[in-house]
Amino acid sequence: MSQDVVIRARGLTKEFLRDSFHIVALKDVDLEIRRGEYLALMGPSGSGKSTLLHLIAAMDRPTAGEIEVLGSNVASMADSEMAKWRNRHIGFVFQSFNLIPVLTALENVELPLKLTHLKRGERVQHAATALKLVGLGDRMDHYPRQLSGGQEQRVAIARAIVTDPDIILCDEPTGNLDARSANEVLELLRRLNQEFGKTIVMVTHDPHAAHFATHIRFIDKGELLPEGKKPEDWS
Amino acid sequence: MKYLPLIVKNALRNRRRTLLTTSSLAISLCLLGVMMALYYALFIGGQPAKAQARRVVVRHKVSIVFPLPLYFREKIAQVPGVEEVMLWSWFGGVYKDARDQRNFFARMAADADRLFRVYQDYVIPEEQKEAFIRDPAGCVVNKALAERHGFKVGDRILIRGDIYPFDLDLTVRGIYTSTDFDDDTLWFNWKYMENMLRNSPRLMAGGFTLLARSEQDVAAISRTIDEMFANSEAPTKTESEYTFGLSFLSFLGNIKVILMSICFAVTFTVLLITANTMAMSVRERVREVGVLRTLGFGKPAIVGLIVGESALISLLGGLLGVLVAEGLCWVVRQGPAIVQQAKTLTIEGPVFAALMGVSLAVGIFSSIVPAVSAARTSIIDALRFTD
Amino acid sequence: MILPISYNLRNLAVRRTTTLMTALGIGLTVAVLAASFALVDGLRLALEASGHPLNVLVTRKGAESELASNFERRVFDDLKFKAGIARNAAGEPLASLEVVTVINLVSVEYPEGANVSVRGVTPIGLEIRDDARLTEGRWFTPGRREATVGSSIAKRYPEARPGEKIRFGRGEWEVVGIFHSGQMARNSEILVDLNQVAADFGRESVLSSALLRATDEVAHQALINDLQADTRLNVQARSEKAYYAQQTSSGDLIRYLGTIVAVIMAVGSCFGAMNTMYAAVARRSKEIGTLRVLGFSRAAILVSFLIESLMLAALGGALGILLVLPVQGLSTGIGSMVTFSEIAFQLRITPQTMASAFLFALAMGAAGGLLPAFQASRKEILTALREG
Repeated sequence: MSQDVVIRARGLTKEFLRDSFHIVALKDVDLEIRRGEYLALMGPSGSGKSTLLHLIAAMDRPTAGEIEVLGSNVASMADSEMAKWRNRHIGFVFQSFNLIPVLTALENVELPLKLTHLKRGERVQHAATALKLVGLGDRMDHYPRQLSGGQEQRVAIARAIVTDPDIILCDEPTGNLDARSANEVLELLRRLNQEFGKTIVMVTHDPHAAHFATHIRFIDKGELLPEGKKPEDWS
Repeated sequence: MKYLPLIVKNALRNRRRTLLTTSSLAISLCLLGVMMALYYALFIGGQPAKAQARRVVVRHKVSIVFPLPLYFREKIAQVPGVEEVMLWSWFGGVYKDARDQRNFFARMAADADRLFRVYQDYVIPEEQKEAFIRDPAGCVVNKALAERHGFKVGDRILIRGDIYPFDLDLTVRGIYTSTDFDDDTLWFNWKYMENMLRNSPRLMAGGFTLLARSEQDVAAISRTIDEMFANSEAPTKTESEYTFGLSFLSFLGNIKVILMSICFAVTFTVLLITANTMAMSVRERVREVGVLRTLGFGKPAIVGLIVGESALISLLGGLLGVLVAEGLCWVVRQGPAIVQQAKTLTIEGPVFAALMGVSLAVGIFSSIVPAVSAARTSIIDALRFTD
Repeated sequence: MILPISYNLRNLAVRRTTTLMTALGIGLTVAVLAASFALVDGLRLALEASGHPLNVLVTRKGAESELASNFERRVFDDLKFKAGIARNAAGEPLASLEVVTVINLVSVEYPEGANVSVRGVTPIGLEIRDDARLTEGRWFTPGRREATVGSSIAKRYPEARPGEKIRFGRGEWEVVGIFHSGQMARNSEILVDLNQVAADFGRESVLSSALLRATDEVAHQALINDLQADTRLNVQARSEKAYYAQQTSSGDLIRYLGTIVAVIMAVGSCFGAMNTMYAAVARRSKEIGTLRVLGFSRAAILVSFLIESLMLAALGGALGILLVLPVQGLSTGIGSMVTFSEIAFQLRITPQTMASAFLFALAMGAAGGLLPAFQASRKEILTALREG
């Protein structure tokens, strides 16, 4: 495996049983993502793009196939190992921000650092740095409900990068935002990719958002389409 | 304990719910506290008060209602280790109207000159004591009792006889307090009985109370006395005054079982209420559990956060409960002296520890099920969860 | 317009864990109350069922109890020929001179021993106690140191079963039989020969009481009045039923304790119910908004949530009654402040107890549900729709 491939999937398949319906979310997906790549995964709802993201983040296990992230076979890890690994190597950004409402912006960002061996002072310092990086140095003591949607998402991004992960995974990061806030967030992600060399995988169905990425791949009905190919009915 | 701030914030998330749960816990646990304090005082760790520890009661072996011959007093006085001995007799009788419970208090005849030597915890002005000993129709009453009925030195108290075929016409010569506990007793001069029952076979002692030279002698003295009278006309049962007091307990019903049942019911109710609160809290936070796990929190950390929150709430409720319980104990102490243990009731160290233990256990057991099931939910399902 | 009850029922069913836990909390509280009532009722029913309506108990004037009474034999000889006293087939008056004393026996419930009444009676005394039937062995023989014990005694005191010997007075008494009476309090006595026991305790001339059987109800009252008024005899006469009824107060302490404990627990359970209902209101915020849009009034919302809380409490009440049912018939004993001995009785759950337990549960439901229901009804439509 070449040094700069950080995510490699082979024959990745994920099946669900939901309400006694058998659903194939991902079918035989082969994928390689290199270090420093900014990949936008596009496709209609239910195409399996989020599932792929979850498998990369070791939040779920595949039904078949292999997935290797940063050289680790994440599917074979025990739960506690997975958790530790995720904390160290993955930053995750949700569509609905998912900040803890009872914690301030700073405390939200500090949260993943509680799992490390850092002392309180260092944790606060790191968190503050991350918040300044996303342009919210003046909002540290605000609670999520006191922030706008765009600000909330930037706090969430700060939380995702505070552990200095290799990979940032974003699940429809602009889905709940107005156009201006969305642009701020997308600019920020691009900066993280270009200035800090973070590998980013972003799930989106917004072509404008995908535009910020270095690569775009489509998923349709659980299948990863070849590079440059779109689903037939894609507008 | 770097998770503590998060736990505290979580507990404060729904302030009203936490407040209601904590108050509910405090109320129930204060009840549990009083019940446990009673149980402890009565059956486990109750200790006689300082002066009382040396007092020993001699009574008829078969039942307290059978009298003992007067000459036993001199024989008891000769037993090694006995410092002083007095006879007493339960007069009973009716004060005013027997149907009013407040008119029920102990009316005992006793050797006037020996009473204050045996009951060394009694405090009374010297001249009142002398007046009592001099007056064959005199009596002394406990201060709390005197206050309840408005008795003052010099007052006359009339008691109609029921067990004995004569009435008492007594003059209050003194009012005593005790350094140990208020015993709600009226003591009158034994000479009254002697004068009324001259030459009657009924002039007998209800029993004897003796003062041992030291606490260590109590057991030996008791044995010696019982052996001495084993084959007499009236075999005796001798025990410390403290144990003697406990023997009246079964009169109130099966207190042990009643207390235990209440404790059990209260504990279980508390468990249910806390469990319900935690189940509701966790349900509302399943998504957050998903977020935390995405950030890298493992299952044990999730369980710890939830159980910690529950334990925090219940320990807080428990602490408040103990405070209220101590207040309730104060109320019980002011109440009637049904058993002397009630007069000194307080939350002792072991009871406090047990209460905190119960609180902690309630906190853990009430949350362990929702905590584990929340931690077990797959991250994807948790993130998708809507209540 | 009122929301259908089935709406509340379904909502309770959907959140069944919470519903059940809250109801069980209320149930346990109800159970404590019901159990203490069952104790007190059991005692009361046992005592109410005791005493023959035509019997008159005579003690010395001023004596509240037989035990405290010193009743002279010559007084008995004077009163047994009073008018109104029934006679047996042989023409003897149904008047029984009796002596009552108390002994201490080790019981199954109280290993430290409990007080038991011993009653000395004559054959006439047994004749008046026509309600007592032998269930085992035989009656004691006059002139012998033999005892026939009540059924509760035999059950509760291993020392006092047929074939055993009890020590009291000047020696041992052989237990020769067990009797049972529908008059529950009688079963807590040991019956022995009057003259034997009186001699043992030196009470040949000073005994405890007399039990008389009147010819009829009118004579019963007249006899009591006659005896009360007779200053020469200086006795106190009362109906035997009243004597037993008076002992009901022995259960007062348990009643107070049970009620206080239940009330304190109720406050706790009430808070629990409040939590549950507040959560229900919060969870259904959108629903409340929608219902209001559909035209349901604030009052309808208030009533609906209140009904739901009452239903929750009713379930709790029912659970509580179910929980307490197993204590029905359990036997226990309590000390009587009148006889200075133990009265054995069985716990009884009466329909009244069930009704008051159920009402108690509903009260908890109403108290716990009122504030949340009020909050639900106060929600503004738009805010309600946005929440949740």
